Amino acid sequence: MSQSLRPYLSCVRSTLTAALSLSNFASQAAERHNVPEIEAASSPELLLNPLTVSRNAEERVLVEPSVNSVRVSIRIKQADEIEHILVHKFTRFLTQRAEAFFILRRKAVPGYDISFLITNLHTEEMLKHKLVDFIIEFMEEVDKEISEMKLFLNARARFVAESFLTPFD
Amino acid sequence: MLLLDYQNVLIESLLKDRFAPGATPTSIDQVVSDFDNVTFHISTPESKTKILVSLAIKCYPELAKYGAEEVLQREYGSLIVQPENGYDFSVQVDLEQLPSSDEEKTELIRKISLLKRNAMAAPFEQAFDEFASLQEQARQYTSESAPQGVREGGTVRAIHYREEEAIYIKASHDRVTVIFSTIFREETDRVYGKVFLQEFVDARKRGVQNAPQVLARDDPPLELQGIPGLKGGKGAEGGVTYVTFVLFPRHLTPQRRAEVISHIQTFRDYFHYHIKASKAYIHSRMRRRTADFLQVLRRARPEAEEKERKTASGRTFTVKS
Repeated sequence: MSQSLRPYLSCVRSTLTAALSLSNFASQAAERHNVPEIEAASSPELLLNPLTVSRNAEERVLVEPSVNSVRVSIRIKQADEIEHILVHKFTRFLTQRAEAFFILRRKAVPGYDISFLITNLHTEEMLKHKLVDFIIEFMEEVDKEISEMKLFLNARARFVAESFLTPFD
Repeated sequence: MLLLDYQNVLIESLLKDRFAPGATPTSIDQVVSDFDNVTFHISTPESKTKILVSLAIKCYPELAKYGAEEVLQREYGSLIVQPENGYDFSVQVDLEQLPSSDEEKTELIRKISLLKRNAMAAPFEQAFDEFASLQEQARQYTSESAPQGVREGGTVRAIHYREEEAIYIKASHDRVTVIFSTIFREETDRVYGKVFLQEFVDARKRGVQNAPQVLARDDPPLELQGIPGLKGGKGAEGGVTYVTFVLFPRHLTPQRRAEVISHIQTFRDYFHYHIKASKAYIHSRMRRRTADFLQVLRRARPEAEEKERKTASGRTFTVKS
């Protein structure tokens, strides 16, 4: 793990741990409704201060807590065109499987690549520290995967080009 | 399978079956597709022993203009028959008059399966011949005193072999330039294509020093100035890329030209085939990685504790397998 990644991830971890203190909270606006308040945003007093953790201009995490739900949005590093395409494809791949991921939001918050929505139902059903672990591991792995794929593409391109040109030699 | 074959494998295997000693003649009626919207039709219209192979190729009028008929005449000679209706060129093989030796049979099969390659080869051969004569002329002059025609090189031969893509071939006194125009349907293909092309451009620096020089750009190269119907240019839509191969005299020697022509023809299909293959690999990789993430998330769910269940009388349940 690189020197600047460690404090970044540990900061996200403590922010998330603090933000994930959720309780069941029925809607104040509509009777017998129980909705994630961060999405409904119908009562400003139920929303807490959003927080951005930035590693650099490209990579950041936005944590938006509320009384019964937390929205976590991640912006993944995209240094060039290839990484942009790969990130786009990968996040699309994940969001299309949002059903299986429970906490994944189908659409990312504008300005971010992927968003999670954790409600009090999720924290009741699942272990809170494991949820945080998942998000941290996701952030680590995504970066690794993207750069591996990019390396693979370059290596393959080189091999393909040389194989085509060798018969001319 | 890294490099693409020059011949059509289906035609090859079909003919091999028919030519095998002891094979009973059967009636065939099969349409075979090849790269670049080329279609073959293999049939036995008259009798079961006479196999007719027809070729339909989009740019046949252009190829004929550049001498395809002479090349095909040279290659197929007496096999050529009147083109079948709807096709551009036909050859017929009589199973009763096959050559006796196995080598000759294999040679005949190879020749017929290379039908597309031979039809497409005509403009290349013409350009290579033109290069030879220009080189001869240029010997008589120094570089300053050469007349315009020798210095500039010959005309550009254009083959519009696909809907929106073309090959341009131009001979000069010291090289032959082959330019492929290619289109990327998707943004992803364009980006991958860029990575691949960069490696083609750099390959010469790294080890394959004798390879042709490769250049890639998005606007039409200077060689194609004044050619009608060119797309691309600064800020143009549609993602046309021009890939230039500069073939040097050492590629154009009579001993090597057949191989070079065959090989360079496969460039476009080879290039796009590997882009698609990379996409497929990356897709399967993402699928695997997604499964890994799901595994991590599943760990967050606490396992339901298994308690020993008992009946009222104190007996325990056991699972029968």
